[in-house]
Amino acid sequence: MKKSEVCVIVSIIIFIFSLAYITSLGGLGYLPPVDVRKLAQIYLSSTYNPFEPTNTSSGYESVTAIVWDFRGLDTFFETAVFYGAIIASIAVYRGVSISTKKKPIGMSPIAKTITRLSTVLIPTVAASIAFHGHLTPGGGFQAGSVATVVIVLIVMVFGLRKVILKGLTKPKILLLRSLGLVGIGLTAIGLVLAGLVIGVNAYIFQNQAKPIAHISYPMWIDDILVGGSLLLFNLFEFVAVMAGFALVLMLFSIEEEEVRKVIK
Amino acid sequence: MINEVFVYVGEALVLIGVFCDIAAAIGMLRFPNFYTRMHAATVGTIGGAVVPLIGVALIALGCDWLGSYRFFLAGASIVAGILIMLLAPVGTHVLAQATHKAGLAPKKPLLFDHLEEEQRGGKK
Repeated sequence: MKKSEVCVIVSIIIFIFSLAYITSLGGLGYLPPVDVRKLAQIYLSSTYNPFEPTNTSSGYESVTAIVWDFRGLDTFFETAVFYGAIIASIAVYRGVSISTKKKPIGMSPIAKTITRLSTVLIPTVAASIAFHGHLTPGGGFQAGSVATVVIVLIVMVFGLRKVILKGLTKPKILLLRSLGLVGIGLTAIGLVLAGLVIGVNAYIFQNQAKPIAHISYPMWIDDILVGGSLLLFNLFEFVAVMAGFALVLMLFSIEEEEVRKVIK
Repeated sequence: MINEVFVYVGEALVLIGVFCDIAAAIGMLRFPNFYTRMHAATVGTIGGAVVPLIGVALIALGCDWLGSYRFFLAGASIVAGILIMLLAPVGTHVLAQATHKAGLAPKKPLLFDHLEEEQRGGKK
């Protein structure tokens, strides 16, 4: 056996043992007392609480409830920062066009066939993550990231020029992304607008009825828990994240010659 | 009765998977070049992942005490198995083709290279 192989084996053993040690340790010092964990109880009891309609977030998933309801404004600004970064990268590539004069080459027919299959399968998984975001772990951002994989696969297997020729152009993706962002914004102020029309109190980022603001998004639609604004936020975030990531990845895969024509 | 058959057949498939995984591990270490090692890796993914997943699905179907959850388990295992069966060979195929095209791996113990012949024939 070579020296390097011995080193690899020893390092794997050390890694596994240190991982086990750290997980068995739990934390340094004493663990927090039980009453600190009351915070978790509060979160759990106000995530889905049909007995107290003014103190519920209408979904089973605590994380989604916290992210889009308890601290919705914070998540909104996080999303804004993310799109700031994406807008900046689009601005760097301003004026760079993707030429479709040359024919797309792509990989072998085997790879293309399976990629065609997965362009159906992967978005299905992504959509299920987004639609179930208020019931099971997941949500809009995760679903959008999963759906981006399809764009990467298509760009790699069929070639970027094929994507453009098929009609998935930069303005269209920008429109999709803007639709997602506008949807998030409208969902956030939806109840306020409705309150202005009807003439009742409402808050921004309100999901369910509160003691002095009696309007709410629908929690159930025909026996299905839809989670009020959580479902809408997840769906719009899914569209926006998918379009944003897809756009940046497509811009990154433009040939250097094309970019050099604009940025000299 | 039928449940027991499901469980036994499933266990047999998992055992086949264990054998394939061990064979693949030995092959990865012992085979002489990149392409043959890739064959060993494929034995590991199809024989060692898809077959046991179908076995797990059968075992889950045979376990009555799981209630209706056994259908979720079986369905998820079969879908995962089919996905691996579709996607893993394509990854191997693309990797092998790229390596062959770039000439990165030595083609030492090789009797016949149809792909290279085809490419040379295409150039003529």
